[in-house]
Amino acid sequence: MNIGGYVGKILRVDLSSSKSSVEELGPSFIEKWVGGVGFGAKYLYDEVSPGVGWSDPENRLIWTSGPLAGSGVYGAATFNVISKGPMTNLAGSSQANGFFGAYLKFSGFDGILFQGKAPSLVYLWIRDGRAEIRDARFLAGKDVWETEDALRKEMEVKERDVSIYAIGPAGEKEVLYSAIVGDRGHLAAHNGLGAIMGSKNLKAVVVYRGKRNFEIKDPERLKERNEVLFEVAKVSGPIYQWGSGGGFSAVYGMGGLPVRNYTTNLYPEHERMNGQYMRTHFEIRPVPCYMCRMAHVKEVTVTEGPYKGFVAEEPEYELLSAWGPQIGNTDLGAVVMLSHEVDRLGIDCNESSWVIGWVMECYEKGVFSRKDLDGLDMKWGNVEAVKVMLGKIARKEGIGDLLSQGVMRASQRIGGEAADWAVHTLKGCTPRGHDHRGGRWPELFDTCLTNTSTLESTWGPVQPQVVDLPPIIDPFSHEEVSTFNAKFNGIRQFDDCLGTCRFASPDPKLVVACVNAVTGWDLSLEDAFTIGRRVINQLRVFNFSHGMKKEDERPSKRYGSIPVDGPAMGKNIMEKWEAMVENYYSLMGWDPKSGKPLPETLKKLGLEDLIKDL
Amino acid sequence: MNSVTVELWLWLGRELKEDFESLSEMRSARKEVVEEGTNIGQLLNHLANRYDPFRQEIFDIREKRLHPQVVLTYNDRVISPHDLYEQVLKEGDKITIMPLYTGG
Repeated sequence: MNIGGYVGKILRVDLSSSKSSVEELGPSFIEKWVGGVGFGAKYLYDEVSPGVGWSDPENRLIWTSGPLAGSGVYGAATFNVISKGPMTNLAGSSQANGFFGAYLKFSGFDGILFQGKAPSLVYLWIRDGRAEIRDARFLAGKDVWETEDALRKEMEVKERDVSIYAIGPAGEKEVLYSAIVGDRGHLAAHNGLGAIMGSKNLKAVVVYRGKRNFEIKDPERLKERNEVLFEVAKVSGPIYQWGSGGGFSAVYGMGGLPVRNYTTNLYPEHERMNGQYMRTHFEIRPVPCYMCRMAHVKEVTVTEGPYKGFVAEEPEYELLSAWGPQIGNTDLGAVVMLSHEVDRLGIDCNESSWVIGWVMECYEKGVFSRKDLDGLDMKWGNVEAVKVMLGKIARKEGIGDLLSQGVMRASQRIGGEAADWAVHTLKGCTPRGHDHRGGRWPELFDTCLTNTSTLESTWGPVQPQVVDLPPIIDPFSHEEVSTFNAKFNGIRQFDDCLGTCRFASPDPKLVVACVNAVTGWDLSLEDAFTIGRRVINQLRVFNFSHGMKKEDERPSKRYGSIPVDGPAMGKNIMEKWEAMVENYYSLMGWDPKSGKPLPETLKKLGLEDLIKDL
Repeated sequence: MNSVTVELWLWLGRELKEDFESLSEMRSARKEVVEEGTNIGQLLNHLANRYDPFRQEIFDIREKRLHPQVVLTYNDRVISPHDLYEQVLKEGDKITIMPLYTGG
């Protein structure tokens, strides 16, 4: 392989026949699609036809690394998972960090493509370019931590000798928002990718540490740019010092915390629930990802309250918001407990917290009785009841069977007013752990119009200034938000091609410089945008081919409602929604009425083959 | 003359500990007395001229506007940066300045 950063091989695993084969990646394919979501988008489009359902054996589950993973760029060991996902029945792309993205390459592959369905539960073992499909029936029903422990024991390896990603009981039961979880608490969570593993009878994937087996074209340049990147990352927000929870109170201050299922924006306890409080009151130990100097991932011991002594991974922001304000809980120790529980079961914390918050609101308002909820007293803040309910969801027991379908489907089944209280998009995916009505309009808009079933153009707010565009001035301006979401779109999907972590790589220009040093290419920032936009348009045509409707690119009634109190009280994004959408479509090179990519847009991106499919 | 409270959240207050009273581990504040008719933009400009960290992290005195990674609330409601020079301060008003958080 003459391009640095690549092994040049994809492993194809046919679970139906229990056979695997190796496919070479050509340079033109690599240059066009780069890796991660790029590789995934191309394979998904080519191999999953319209009409194939998410749980059909013909669906593909595609795990891909990228050129920076394992290259020595700090914290670069991310991998991307893409498939046709159950929440939206459209493309779903999600990433996880830890070690896997680097170890997969060290084991001989840039990616794995799963197809078919195994006759019984199996796991995939990969080492030094060899792959074996092994019996996993002894792992049935185990949670993801137990699965990691059992596999390490069976293989007689130490903690960091292998990277393991698996599904828990939720994935095995095909709960629609199951996650793929590994390396002790990292998740590819959105759009039910874990349910697809379950549908294929694939319990886990194991890759060995191995040794670097690809070239770095300009090691000196990489070293120099990498150091600068780290210095920039250290001062980009609170992550280095306080973790992602360090922004919790800042999000509250602009009305962005989800409190009791969007029924209020008041949560005065936020100062005792944030990353600063956790890191100054609980015991903390670092458990960094592969070669990460940011080292924001920690393990904590709770030091106060009912869960004193509980040891688990430190909750990220998303978990703090999910198991704190969204369910009316004000005990930080309980957040640690529930975060650990949801990860062990292998469920997406975002979707599950929208489900639980909705159940609690329905219980408070009399839609659900205690009997309806299998005897559970689902009042706001009852964390022990939440823990039991999560277990019911993961195993589809009792009321958990309905709730395992996610908040959109469950609320539609109950109907009446309760259907209006669910937070989701009309496509079926749900937002991350914020109240996007408060100062996060870019993310609300992105969540509704995305082609990945989670973020596409934003990372919370957009940051036009990091790519030399003028900054957004007013986060509540309909025109500014839709314009800048379009102008900024592309660079974040480029990120997701690379196998790197955004927390460790927040500066796009430095990231492009690192890519060039690794690969030997001479990409510009504009090239990076083009690659990202190519991925977006590929997925958009896929989604239209698979039944996406323009009318579904909007929030549910509650998700798009007007905050009744708090810092963003009275702000109404829906007031000019149609104008925002039309403006965005136009700037993206899409038909302003239908939202379909225009032929000239596809041609410009080298996607002329897709024109016929529209 | 009107007395107005200026509150800084999280790391925005870290370099101004001597001039802002600590309210909690993440909040600090000071009272400012402003002339009748002073608007928010004028007060921010005044503070940016007085304090280097304020100028570097919060208010751009050359462009006369907030830095992009900053959010401002007026009496606990988010206010559009376009309205800074429209909103005249009254006795007892509070403005809170906090970082715009990305990621999470």
